[in-house]
Amino acid sequence: MQSSPCVKILGLVLGLLFLSASAQAGVPTEQIKGTVDRAVLVLKDPRLKPAAKTKERREQLREILFARFDFTEMAKRALGSNWRRRTPQEQDEFVRLFTDILERAYANIIESYTDEKIVYINERIEGGFVDVGSKILTSRGEEYSVNYKAHLVSNEWKVYDVIAENISLVNNFRSQFNRVIANSSYEELLRRLRDKADFAGVPKK
Amino acid sequence: MVGIFVLAGLACLGYLAIRLGKLELFGSQGYVVSADFASVAGLKLGDPVEIAGVRIGKVEGIGLSDDRARVTLRVNDGVKLQDDVIASVRARGLIGDKFVLIAPGASDKIIPPGGKIRETESPPDIPDLIGKIVGGDLTSKKEKKEENSAK
Repeated sequence: MQSSPCVKILGLVLGLLFLSASAQAGVPTEQIKGTVDRAVLVLKDPRLKPAAKTKERREQLREILFARFDFTEMAKRALGSNWRRRTPQEQDEFVRLFTDILERAYANIIESYTDEKIVYINERIEGGFVDVGSKILTSRGEEYSVNYKAHLVSNEWKVYDVIAENISLVNNFRSQFNRVIANSSYEELLRRLRDKADFAGVPKK
Repeated sequence: MVGIFVLAGLACLGYLAIRLGKLELFGSQGYVVSADFASVAGLKLGDPVEIAGVRIGKVEGIGLSDDRARVTLRVNDGVKLQDDVIASVRARGLIGDKFVLIAPGASDKIIPPGGKIRETESPPDIPDLIGKIVGGDLTSKKEKKEENSAK
């Protein structure tokens, strides 16, 4: 009879171990899913739907996404080998411009979300890096693959690249930026990015 | 005298055979790195590895590793690959020969010999993408028709 509490405690400990182990295996997916779910909640929120609320909605989305995406790392990777040739101040400025451009380019795409289902398929961890695979299922029955590449920054998985249908966002920008720098100069790239940011910054009437 | 010429001729033939057959008698130069791709459709052994259009190595092995394609690349000595380089399988033109394109990265860390390229991009499946675009259009038209007929 005396062994009964011991067995119970043992069972409890084993159960906890098992639970924590299974939770551990999916931490990157859980974290990324959490961010995506929160963004979807904002996108679905009927109170934020009207055009007058665009600013507020984007503000909330920005807050959610900035917590999970490592835009500095993304900008660094997008600039590629030219990153090391820039001074820290230039790098900071580039990160700001790049984040701006990303926001302009993807805000509309993100906001076109209607009722797509998002499923998470797999997760591959290697060292401090992870590749989380997901699929977006549209109501028409099409499937689009979206992979998140993230790295571990003080216990949080931060996304530094998104690969949609086998096309890497970072690599796409990297080849464009390199082409501009190779054909003209880094200053020209900055000028074009600024133009784009300013142009897109003008609210449409 | 004739023997010398025959020997010299044979030596030349041997040299030609080795060069043309791309045999490597004296061990291979360069170092090896690997990269895992979701798909390498059409890539063959010996296909070039390029940075900015310049050949810096070749594909030395293609195999499977956990349902993904593991490609071994032999990279020329003196070429440094940062640990955030992106390797992508590209084709010259839509249906041309395949090659592995490497986009240099920003990191200070260099991939050591025997190391692994973490960032890879598989070739987009063009027929699949066309299918999605065309298929999507077809069904949306159908849906509209259905809506119309319902009215």
